[in-house]
Amino acid sequence: MIKRKKNIFIRFFRNPKVQPFLSVILPVALGVLVFALWQTQILHKILGTDTFTLPLPSQINRIIGDNLPKIMLNVKATVLVAVIGLAIGSFIGYLIAVLATVFPRWGAGGLSIVAAFNAIPIVALAPVMTNWTKDVSSDASVRSMVAKVLVVMIVSIATMSVNAYRGLNNLPEFSLDLMKSYAAKKRVVFFKLRLPNSVPYIFTALRVGVPSSVISAIVSEYFAEYITGVGRQIRENIVIAQYATAWTYIAVACLIGISMYCILMMFEGILLRNRK
Amino acid sequence: MSKAKKIVSSKPFIMLVWVLVLVAIWEMGAANMEKTKRTPENVLPHVSQIVASVFSDKMVSNSQTATQIVWSSAEATLERAFIGFLFGTIFGFLMALLMKLSGLVEKTIFPYLMLIQMIPIIGMAPIILAITHDIGTSRIVIAAILTFYPVATNTLAGLNSVSKEKYELMYSYAASKWTIYRKVLIPSCIPYFFTGLKISAPMAITASILVDTLQGDGGLGCMLSQSLKHAMSIYVFWQIVFFSAFVGILSSVLMGVIEKRVSPHMRADRKRRKKV
Amino acid sequence: MSEMIKEREVEREVEIKIDDVCMSFKDNNSNDVQALNRINLAIKKGEFIALLGPSGCGKTTLLRTIADLLEPTSGKVRISGMTPKEIRLQQKFGIVFQNPVLFEWRTVKKNVELPLEIMYWSKVERKKQADRMLELVGLTKFADHYPKQLSGGMQQRVGIARAFGIKPNILLMDEPFSALDEFTKEKLHDDLLKIWRETNKTVIFVTHNIQEAVYLSDKVCVLSPHPGRLSAVVEIDLPRPRTIGMKDSIQFTELVAKVRNSFEGGSL
Repeated sequence: MIKRKKNIFIRFFRNPKVQPFLSVILPVALGVLVFALWQTQILHKILGTDTFTLPLPSQINRIIGDNLPKIMLNVKATVLVAVIGLAIGSFIGYLIAVLATVFPRWGAGGLSIVAAFNAIPIVALAPVMTNWTKDVSSDASVRSMVAKVLVVMIVSIATMSVNAYRGLNNLPEFSLDLMKSYAAKKRVVFFKLRLPNSVPYIFTALRVGVPSSVISAIVSEYFAEYITGVGRQIRENIVIAQYATAWTYIAVACLIGISMYCILMMFEGILLRNRK
Repeated sequence: MSKAKKIVSSKPFIMLVWVLVLVAIWEMGAANMEKTKRTPENVLPHVSQIVASVFSDKMVSNSQTATQIVWSSAEATLERAFIGFLFGTIFGFLMALLMKLSGLVEKTIFPYLMLIQMIPIIGMAPIILAITHDIGTSRIVIAAILTFYPVATNTLAGLNSVSKEKYELMYSYAASKWTIYRKVLIPSCIPYFFTGLKISAPMAITASILVDTLQGDGGLGCMLSQSLKHAMSIYVFWQIVFFSAFVGILSSVLMGVIEKRVSPHMRADRKRRKKV
Repeated sequence: MSEMIKEREVEREVEIKIDDVCMSFKDNNSNDVQALNRINLAIKKGEFIALLGPSGCGKTTLLRTIADLLEPTSGKVRISGMTPKEIRLQQKFGIVFQNPVLFEWRTVKKNVELPLEIMYWSKVERKKQADRMLELVGLTKFADHYPKQLSGGMQQRVGIARAFGIKPNILLMDEPFSALDEFTKEKLHDDLLKIWRETNKTVIFVTHNIQEAVYLSDKVCVLSPHPGRLSAVVEIDLPRPRTIGMKDSIQFTELVAKVRNSFEGGSL
C-alpha cells in the first residue's frame, strides 16, 4: 500500500510519540511568550497602558522578595478564611444533601432553593455580613473574620449540596434493588452505598469550590471591617495608586488558588486512585 | 390522589413553602433586632419594611425615590453586564470551536483556561479600571472574562461528547468537515453551551455590580456602597440586595427558558417524562 | 474453498471482491495481533451475506475494511471495480450500527432526512423519501417524535430507514439487533427482509447469533478467531420469502447445525 506523503510538519505533529511532549511544550511556550511580551513592554503597547499600571514581571518579583513577611501575613489571613469557610460550608452543604436524600419530597424542593443561592451575587452578601457580625466579638479582627468566613461558607454550601445530592442519588443501576434483596436497613444503604458513591461528587464540588472560595474570601475582604488579607491589600494599594504592589498581591492570589487546587488534586488522586 | 394532595406535593408548592420558611427565619431575626438594636434597619429590617420602601414615594436623594434609584442605576449595570456577557459568550464559543478544530490550539490553551479560573478577576477590577480608564468598559471587560471561562469549557466538553459512531456515520456519507460541524458537532454542544451560560449569566451581573463599587459613577454597586455609608436611605441597600439576588436567579432561569426555545427536543423530553 | 467461490463468479455479477485481506494491530505491549488473516470472499449483487463469529474473530474489522473505516494491512477490497474509498465518496454505503446513532435534536423524520441533506437532495424529494422509508418500517405515526420518545426497537428501525433511504448500493449492518429483545428482534428480521426484497440491495450483516445469520442470509460466512480467518461459507438454500415458521423446520435446524460445526477449533 502506498502511503501518501504528507507535509513533514503535519506528520511530526500527528506522531503519537510527539503528542505528550507537545502538551507540555506548547503551553510553556505560550507562557514564555506572554512573559517575554510583558517584560519587553510590547504587551503594554497592545493594551495601551504603561509600566505604572501594569508593572513588569521582574518588578513584581522584586516586590515579593522585599515584602515576603508582610505578604505571608496577608496570605495566612486569606487562606484561613477560604479554608475554614470552604470546610464549614461544604460540611453543611453535605448535610443538606443528606437531609434532602432522607426526606426526598421536601428535600428536592429545598435543594432548588439552595441551588438558587449560586446565582445570588456574593457582593451583596458581604456588607450584610459585616452588619450581622457586629455583636460576635469586641475584637474587630475576630468579628470581621467571622463575617468573611460566613460569606465563603454560603457560597460553598450551594456548590456542595447540589453535587453531593447527585452523588447520594445517582446510584449504579439496580444497586438499590440489590440492597433491598439483602433486606438492608436504610442506615446500611447509606453507609455502604450512598456515602461511598458520593465521594467523587464531593471532589467535583470541591474543584469548583476551591477557586470560588479563594475569590469569595478576597471579595469579602474588600468590605470587611478589619484591614487584612490579600484581597484587601489589592484594594488598599490601588486606592493609594501603588499598582505594582497591587499586582504583586494579585499574583499572590493566583498562587494561592493554584496551590490549593493542586493540593486538592493530590488528595483526589490518592483517595480515588482505584476508581477509574 | 386527590387534587389538594397533588398541589401539596408538587414542586412549586414545596419551593414556596421553603421560601416562606426562609422569610419566617428572617422575620424572627428582624424581630429580635428590633428589640436589641438602636437602628435595626441597618442590620436586619422586616421584609414588610423593605417592601414598603419599594412602594414609598418618599424622595431619598435629589428628586428620586428609592425604587427609582434602583431602577435607573440597574440600567447602567445590567446593560454593561449584558454586553460583556455577550462578548464573553461569543469568544468562549469561538475558542471552544477553535480548540476542537485544532489539537495544537487545544493543547496550548487548555491549561490556561484552568488558570483563568484561579485568577481573582473580580479582585483585578480596580486594575482593569486603571487600564481602561472607563467604568463602562471595565464592566464589559470583566463580565466578558468571567463569562468566557464557563462557556468555553462547557462548550468544549459538549463538542468532545460526540460519539465515535456519529463521526463514522458522517464519514460513511462522505460528509465534509463543515457539514459535520454544522449538522453534528454544533447541535450536540448546545445543551453544554447553555450549562455554561446558566453559570456565567449571574457571574457577569455580580462582576458588573462589584465594578460599580469602585467608582462613584452610578450603577447598582455604587448606590449600594453609598447607601451603606448612609449617604442615602439604607433601604436602597436592602432593595439592591434583593434586586440583585432576584436578577441573578432570573438571568439563570432565563437561559434555561431560551434553551427550551431553541431546542424543541428538550421540551418533548419533558412532556414524555410527565406522561410516564 | 476459494475455487468454489470462483466457479460461481461466472454465473452472477460479483459486486464486492475481497482479495487476500490481512489486518494486524499493535496491542498495548506493541505485539502484533492478527485480526484478519488472508480473507478471500466474493459477494454478488443483491446478496444477503452474514458475517458470523464469536467476538474477536474480526467480523466487524472485515466490515470496516469494506466500509473504508479501516485500511487493510495488506490485500485489497474492490467494489464494482472501485476502492471502498471511491464508493464511500460516491455516498453508496448505508451503515447501521449496534446503537441506533440517532441525532437527539432531530425528529424521527429529520433523522431519516439527514444523509439526504448531506447529499443535496431537494427539500421536496427529501420529505417524500423520508415518508416512504418511515412507511416501510411502520413508523409513519412517529415521524414528528424525537428519538428519546421511542423504544430501542423503534429507534433501530429509524436507523434502518435512514440507511436504506439514501438508496445505497451496499448496506453494511454491524450487529444491529444484538441489543434488542428476542420478540422485537424477530419482528425486525421480517421488516428487514421485506425492505431488502423491495429495494434489492447487497447486504452485509455482522452477527454473533447463528439462528439470526441462517434465517436472514443467502450465505453465512463463518469466521474463527486467533487469527481471524474465514473458516467456511455455508450456502443457505431456504426458500424466500422466509417466514417465522421456517425456524421450526428440519432444514433450518440442520443448517444451524452445519454452521455451528463449521467453526474451527470448536471453541464455541
